[in-house]
Amino acid sequence: MASTEDKAAKQESATGWKDSFYNPRTGEVLGRTGSSWALILLFYLVFYCFLAGMFALTMWVLLLTLDDYVPKYRDRVPYPGLVIRPNSLDLSFNKSDPLKYVQYVKHLESFLQRYNDSQQDKNDDCPPGEYFLQDDTEDMSKKACLFKRGFLSLCSGLSDTNFGYSEGKPCVLLKMNRIIGLKPRGDPYINCTVKRDTPIQMQYFPSEGRIDKKYFPYYGKKAHESYVQPLVAVELLLTKDDYNKELPVECRVEGSDLRNNDERDKFLGRVTFRVTVVE
Amino acid sequence: MGYGRSDSYRVATTQDKDDRSPKKKKGAKDMDDLKKEVPITEHKMSIEEVCRKYQTDIVQGLTNAKAAEYLIRDGPNALTPPPTTPEWVKFCRQLFGGFSVLLWTGAILCFLAYAIQAATEDDPAGDNVSIVLTAVVVITGCFSYFQEAKSSKIMESFKNMVPQQALVIREGEKVQINAEEVVGGDLVEVKGGDRIPADIRVVSAHGCKVDNSSLTGESEPQSRSPDCTHDNPLETRNIAFFSTNCVEGTARGIVICTGDNTVMGRIATLTSGLETGKTPIAKEIEHFIHIITGVAVFLGLTFFILAIVLGYSWLEAVIFLIGIIVANVPEGLLATVTVCLTLTAKRMAKKNCLVKNLEAVETLGSTSTICSDKTGTLTQNRMTVAHMWFDNQIHEADTTEDQSGASFDKSSITWISLARVAALCNRAQFKAGQDQLPILKRDVAGDASESALLKCIELSCGSVRAMRDRNKKVAEIPFNSTNKYQLSVHETEDLNDNRYLLVMKGAPERVLECCSTILVQGKEQPLDEELKEAFQNAYMELGGLGERVLGFCHVLLPEDQYPKGFAFDTDDVNFQTKDLCFVGLMSMIDPPRAAVPDAVGKCRSAGIKVIMVTGDHPITAKAIAKGVGIISEGNETVEDIAARLNIPVSQVNPRDAKACVCHGTDLKDLSQDQMDDILRNHTEIVFARTSPQQKLIIVEGCQRLGAIVAVTGDGVNDSPALKKADIGVAMGISGSDVSKQAADMILLDDNFASIVTGVEEGRLIFDNLKKSIAYTLTSNIPEITPFLLFIIVNIPLPLGTITILCIDLGTDMVPAISLAYEAAESDIMKRQPRNPFRDKLVNERLISIAYGQIVIVCLNPHALGGFFAYFVILAENGFLPTTLVGIRLNWDDRSCNDLEDTYGQQWTYEQRKIVEFTCHTAFFVSIVVVQWADVIICKTRRNSVFQQGMRNKILIFGLFEETALAAFLSYCPGMDVALRMYPLKPSWWFCAFPYSFLIFVYDEVRKLLIRRNPGGWVERETYY
Repeated sequence: MASTEDKAAKQESATGWKDSFYNPRTGEVLGRTGSSWALILLFYLVFYCFLAGMFALTMWVLLLTLDDYVPKYRDRVPYPGLVIRPNSLDLSFNKSDPLKYVQYVKHLESFLQRYNDSQQDKNDDCPPGEYFLQDDTEDMSKKACLFKRGFLSLCSGLSDTNFGYSEGKPCVLLKMNRIIGLKPRGDPYINCTVKRDTPIQMQYFPSEGRIDKKYFPYYGKKAHESYVQPLVAVELLLTKDDYNKELPVECRVEGSDLRNNDERDKFLGRVTFRVTVVE
Repeated sequence: MGYGRSDSYRVATTQDKDDRSPKKKKGAKDMDDLKKEVPITEHKMSIEEVCRKYQTDIVQGLTNAKAAEYLIRDGPNALTPPPTTPEWVKFCRQLFGGFSVLLWTGAILCFLAYAIQAATEDDPAGDNVSIVLTAVVVITGCFSYFQEAKSSKIMESFKNMVPQQALVIREGEKVQINAEEVVGGDLVEVKGGDRIPADIRVVSAHGCKVDNSSLTGESEPQSRSPDCTHDNPLETRNIAFFSTNCVEGTARGIVICTGDNTVMGRIATLTSGLETGKTPIAKEIEHFIHIITGVAVFLGLTFFILAIVLGYSWLEAVIFLIGIIVANVPEGLLATVTVCLTLTAKRMAKKNCLVKNLEAVETLGSTSTICSDKTGTLTQNRMTVAHMWFDNQIHEADTTEDQSGASFDKSSITWISLARVAALCNRAQFKAGQDQLPILKRDVAGDASESALLKCIELSCGSVRAMRDRNKKVAEIPFNSTNKYQLSVHETEDLNDNRYLLVMKGAPERVLECCSTILVQGKEQPLDEELKEAFQNAYMELGGLGERVLGFCHVLLPEDQYPKGFAFDTDDVNFQTKDLCFVGLMSMIDPPRAAVPDAVGKCRSAGIKVIMVTGDHPITAKAIAKGVGIISEGNETVEDIAARLNIPVSQVNPRDAKACVCHGTDLKDLSQDQMDDILRNHTEIVFARTSPQQKLIIVEGCQRLGAIVAVTGDGVNDSPALKKADIGVAMGISGSDVSKQAADMILLDDNFASIVTGVEEGRLIFDNLKKSIAYTLTSNIPEITPFLLFIIVNIPLPLGTITILCIDLGTDMVPAISLAYEAAESDIMKRQPRNPFRDKLVNERLISIAYGQIVIVCLNPHALGGFFAYFVILAENGFLPTTLVGIRLNWDDRSCNDLEDTYGQQWTYEQRKIVEFTCHTAFFVSIVVVQWADVIICKTRRNSVFQQGMRNKILIFGLFEETALAAFLSYCPGMDVALRMYPLKPSWWFCAFPYSFLIFVYDEVRKLLIRRNPGGWVERETYY
């Protein structure tokens, strides 16, 4: 008795299951007739169009309130991060195998394209040691101070196209992140150390790793089209003893009010990278 | 969370599941069990045979050695408690039931992903999602466990912890021992007030009466004697049953059954062996969990595959999977449901409905049939004088509990005489020390009818004790079954009158036989045929009302024959017992409770069928049924129609009669179809003289017709039906332990009217749970859309896992719970009970409203509000929407620390992550803001908020609490580390306001349309 009941129930559920997709008797697809589907879809269409319109309207209002030149809030980026080029935190190469370091060299070369004389000659040679303020000018577009590749001397890639990589004395370029309106106080300079007992020789370009105040403040992408960030190059003058070892190098921005010891953000005003040169 | 009923019964039912016998056969099995209940044959044996069987002695009792031997053989004399589930199993059930499995999977996957990350990278992301998920599951599990434990603790208070004592005779000495140590063959002695320690074959008795009501439902105490009066052990006089009470007198007997072998034990075992279905709400919730789980797994896997296809690493894909599962599961919902049910249970407890099983709260609301016991539930369980016949007229006495009813003319001299007879010829008396209590509440020593008379006289004529003192009793013949009357002789009040007053009461026809005159308007008149016929009519009429009628007569004995100091001999009657003067009749009934007729009426208007199931006689049952409205005025039974038309019962079309009084013996011969026929075709049914198994059949019959059945009962005999019912309601005062054990709910005041308030609460909570779920689900669904956009459009993640949990378990909880306090929108007691097949807690419309919105991905007010806030924050910090699309890969790259925004600024990883988490916080706050409007919307399903008002204080508190919590999570120092939530600028709080307003207006319009066009398209498509 129970088994026949079960069977009947099973059959019913099977047809019910099929019917839920398409019911030939009522012409229902997924439980609705064509007109029912049309009505509900129309309803949702109107509903969603209205919502989309609402969203578009609020977004439009938002965009109206925004300034083209300066973001509304800059408090989330009070201090610049410090970044190195080549863009790798683990520089590892064989100094006698060009294939191993060619990527770094290429990267540096392409990065320095914007600092070529041909580009920088258009920029002003502003007086060093003071901010290059242009707030009072009527014109929205601002002038930029020139920073030539030549300032980087040995690490400019002009004299040594291999940036010292072939000699086992690699150059690393450091740059501070662009932040609109940032005016560092004091005399910021970059200082790198190797985290081990015996220090290694390093050479900074421009001298002492100074970052001149004349490159600040930054006025934003739109106003300050030809702006280039000041760079500092560090050449690690490695000796034979330093090869085949992993050297942890830490660089910091010193001598100014820029933060370089944030607990959480390991790239705020400082950067740590590793260098391994194989002979 | 526990979806079953009390777990203790689950285990017991497992054996039943093994044999998959068809239902009917199982019913038969139960019946067999019940029939096996009476293998007792000792009542037919002589006392010597019984002694021989148990190797005991009628005087000396068992020897101590023998008793010890038997105790080891048979075990202690106690009912085996129903097997209970160990606490840890209950706890694990909470921990791994429902959505927990999904969340556990999420937590484990998350942990694995983290472990792999930790193994492959030096500096793994400090991801605490798995810890949070685990904490969530454990905390909600613990919460539900303690909620359940709390409600089961209530039961423990009912357990009688005081060990019962029994007086046994062993080796000729009377010893008081623990009732558990009583063994078969023990000679025990019981006296009035004792509980019978085991099933006993009575060997000697002195005026012993026992109250078998908990076993058989008979409210009258039964006398016990050593003679076998009936073949059926339940009916015979010489057996007293375990756990019944000895009301008066003393008896001595031999123990024949102990513990589980007793009649009571067998019923208890049968009860715990009965299989019970899941409660309707448990089914609903299970249904809901299935839907949600299905959708979560489906969406999760779809996006897992999609992510792999889109070229994400499998690790990332797993994280998406977890995100989608977490977003999909309304983590807080089950806890909300539990809390809502608990709150209602508490509210019901205040109204004298104690709920043992949380889910029963709602079951009561969906009840469509109530099978109610009569005695004690519908009636006051107290014999009360209802009518009197004197002066050739029927007078109605006040039977209400608070004496608010109509009274009759008390000035008649006949009444004074009648009252005097009733007071004097009466052995009942008030127990001492109750003078300050109202008369009706006082305890009385004596049998039920005499107490009724005592109270009636005390109420209308003042102190009976004083009256008895004035009329000293000089002789008395107590009631016996051969005489069928009781008689006493008293001195008169008048000190100068030396005559004696003889008063008599008894069965009316017997009393009338003794009379030759009758008192009418204070004058004695000869009892002629006319008056005899009047008496006969009155007697018939009162009997027809189901009342117990007593006749009263008196006579002043002539002084010349019976001078002062006459020695009345009651054994060899030496005085006049003929030619007395008939005074009147008094009839008694256990009257209905005052609130019951109203409650029955409410049930009827609420579409609930009330069926009376009683062990009492059909006439009494019918009278009470008519009195309380179970058989409503103007409705007739087949018999009534036959009597009215003066035709045989067989000629009446049963369809014409809406009401039906069904006798237990008839029920026995009915087939299943006939039974269904009765239940289907009669709206007003009374079952009289029913046995426990018949109660069970009635309940099963109702359930077969698709009804959700509530059963009330107090006796052990009711417990199988209580258990079988969808909701068993036991009586708190008169109920036996076994019935309380089997029930889901206990009425603390034994009042039927409390059930009706229970039904009201149950219906309300169902409606309100719908609202809570709608509220929770509408905020739950938009939580998925951020993930979808994150994966498909490659924008930074708008809403994180932790913030999702903050919404589900933090801000949404109190408002969702507060909806449980919402008042009803319309009179919920004026509509039909919900159809469990059609009317779902979560119907497809709710699901389609909720999920329909993800079809066109994020276009829903909650998500839009959140996304708007998200875009506002990113844009105001420098990342315009155009820059965002496709930025995800660099955005989430830890080694990219100079990501350029729209304005040319460069961001370190940590800096932009702070912005991202600020966005999560803002998204979260936006959902809270839209939820403000949502909770106000969800307050009503049909009415406008302006009609409903904002009287729900808890809801207003919920709004503030939700906002305060959101502000706390955003602004509390340290939250940036703990939950990665960051302070928002005040203006960001307002981003979602337009959406909040929009959703409110939309829903008001929708409800307006529903109200304007009932049953229209809008209602069909959007009413949940």
